[in-house]
Amino acid sequence: MEVIVCIKRVPETAGADIIIDKTGRGIEKRGLVFDINEWDNYAVEEAILLKEEYGGSVTVISMGPEEANETLRRALAMGADQAIRLTDPVFEGSDGYAIARILSQAIKPLSYDLILTGVQTEDDGYGQVGPTLAEILEIPHAAVVNRIDGIEGGRVKVHRELEGGLEEVLDLNIPAVLTIQSGINEPRYVSIMGIRKVAKKEIKVLGLSELGMKPEDAGQPGSLSVVERVFFPPVGEGAQMLEGTMDEISDKVVTILKEKGGGA
Amino acid sequence: MEAQKNELLQKFELYGCFQCGKCTGGCPVSLKSKLNIRKLMIEVLLRENLGNMIQRDELWDCTTCKTCTLRCPRGLEPMDLLIGMRALSVEEGHIPKTIIEALEGAYKYGNPWNAAKNKRSDWANELELKVFPQGGKAANLYFVCCTAAYDTRVQNVGRSLVQCFRQIGYDFATLGNDETCCGSEIRRMGEEGLFEMLMEGNIESINKYDIRSIVTTSPHCYNTIKNDYGQDGLQVSHYTQVLAEAIKDKNPFSGEMRKAITYHDPCFLGKQNGIFDEPRQILQSIPGVTFIDFDRSREKSLCCEGGGGRMWVESSDQGPRLAEIRVQDAVDMGAEILATACPFCLLTLEDAVKTTGNEEKLRVMDISEILVEVL
Ligand code: SF4
Ligand code: SF4
Repeated sequence: MEVIVCIKRVPETAGADIIIDKTGRGIEKRGLVFDINEWDNYAVEEAILLKEEYGGSVTVISMGPEEANETLRRALAMGADQAIRLTDPVFEGSDGYAIARILSQAIKPLSYDLILTGVQTEDDGYGQVGPTLAEILEIPHAAVVNRIDGIEGGRVKVHRELEGGLEEVLDLNIPAVLTIQSGINEPRYVSIMGIRKVAKKEIKVLGLSELGMKPEDAGQPGSLSVVERVFFPPVGEGAQMLEGTMDEISDKVVTILKEKGGGA
Repeated sequence: MEAQKNELLQKFELYGCFQCGKCTGGCPVSLKSKLNIRKLMIEVLLRENLGNMIQRDELWDCTTCKTCTLRCPRGLEPMDLLIGMRALSVEEGHIPKTIIEALEGAYKYGNPWNAAKNKRSDWANELELKVFPQGGKAANLYFVCCTAAYDTRVQNVGRSLVQCFRQIGYDFATLGNDETCCGSEIRRMGEEGLFEMLMEGNIESINKYDIRSIVTTSPHCYNTIKNDYGQDGLQVSHYTQVLAEAIKDKNPFSGEMRKAITYHDPCFLGKQNGIFDEPRQILQSIPGVTFIDFDRSREKSLCCEGGGGRMWVESSDQGPRLAEIRVQDAVDMGAEILATACPFCLLTLEDAVKTTGNEEKLRVMDISEILVEVL
């Protein structure tokens, strides 16, 4: 079982002060803490569980600058066998389609049974890369997978999470792309010692020419969509910020609830 | 796992254990948890499957109160064996999710509460404290503690302490947002590599600002900086020591408090570091206070179950929380205030006051908060 997992290093924005940058099309990254995209973490764990069950190996691929090595190392420490980083100045500004193209060029020469990605990323949240990658590679895909039942006779059986608590069970030919939903497993902890142990492991780096691509295939020219503006949602009506100590706030909440007819 | 097993055998001298059971006899959680520290000593020695043993849920029930180690007549270190087993399971990665979150928080944000690093000093926003990284100069570093910095309840302890320090004319500065987790609980959860990383970060700050003396809010920070950091020549004090010393000759806290107060010994301050008298001296110095001691006090004090990572993991047992027993005992002996001097004890005990419905009868307060009331 050869599994490829596409992963991304993203800034953690929960609880952080977000500032829109000068271009107005992105956010200020300075001062933010970065980590593996949450969904990708589940995808890496799932790949390792598959390896533990069926044997084979796991390859992790990430597109990004040198800092992405951190995320790849983390995956190696979790149990991945090889790591590849795709980097080139012209990759900057790629949308989901362009990223899928870049990834596909790296994946084509490899042998694989499954490709896993996270359902979406925490930063851009398009959810496009997985399905687009499958289309480019001309293989089947299943999105929002919350369970892999098993792999047998060249087919994989998976559960997909649909809205309203519904689940769909799919039987796909492999190779296939699965986009992995959070909660599918319990990702293992990666210790500092574990990361130190893989510090010297090779990370293969590929750029535009090694991938056989032209500048117009990537970045803004190779993308189908353009980000025009990033902004905070306008503050709506009806929200009231309560201030004070924990006790004062609780009292105010109770008063408001009572006023509005609750707690009768 | 064979190599790891041999390492445990050697490192913790498991052959030296004569199974007297004094460790388990003193273990506060042994009555309600499956954890049996005596048995663990011999099981690691005799049982085949260490891999299964390190997956046991009850390994996370230990509060690292250290009673077992302190009671062992052979001078063995059963608590450290247990932490060593946690460490093996940390390396495998299969540990409780809430523990993973705490460890990752300490790695990413420098605190196990997963709170933003640049908000670490917000608790002191209006206090105008001196801050070493902002050019502040002082004879002592006030090491605040993650819990005092971020927990809205415990923030009041930090603020009260600042008032106390000012009252006694104690010269201090903080590390502001540059302070990182001391690593005490991280080490006791078995993440030695991360502990070292945090320790190195703090030692770097200590050296950078040429700090010779540290005072801490928490007995956990106190214990680890004093005993785990290995910094010769660095004076480390818990705040109760500083305050007790200051009020010896002339007490600037002259107000009266007509209350019956008892004191809960934090394990990391009392049992583990022998600081029993200073907190009591402070409380007894307050005019009007009737001080009553617990039956189980000082060396025999009952653990509140807040240590050893237990703030981040539910115990596997169903028994009553020890903090609830503690609170009930305090109420039964007529105490109106249950004083303590540790952020974790404060939180677990206050929680227990609520779960036992004793809010009307008993107030849980940090010693610094009591002093502020008698300024
Ligand atoms: S107290 Fe020491 S010698 Fe006795 S059972 Fe425990 S570890 Fe063994
Ligand atoms: S450290 Fe305390 S809780 Fe842990 S095993 Fe020893 S006595 Fe029990």
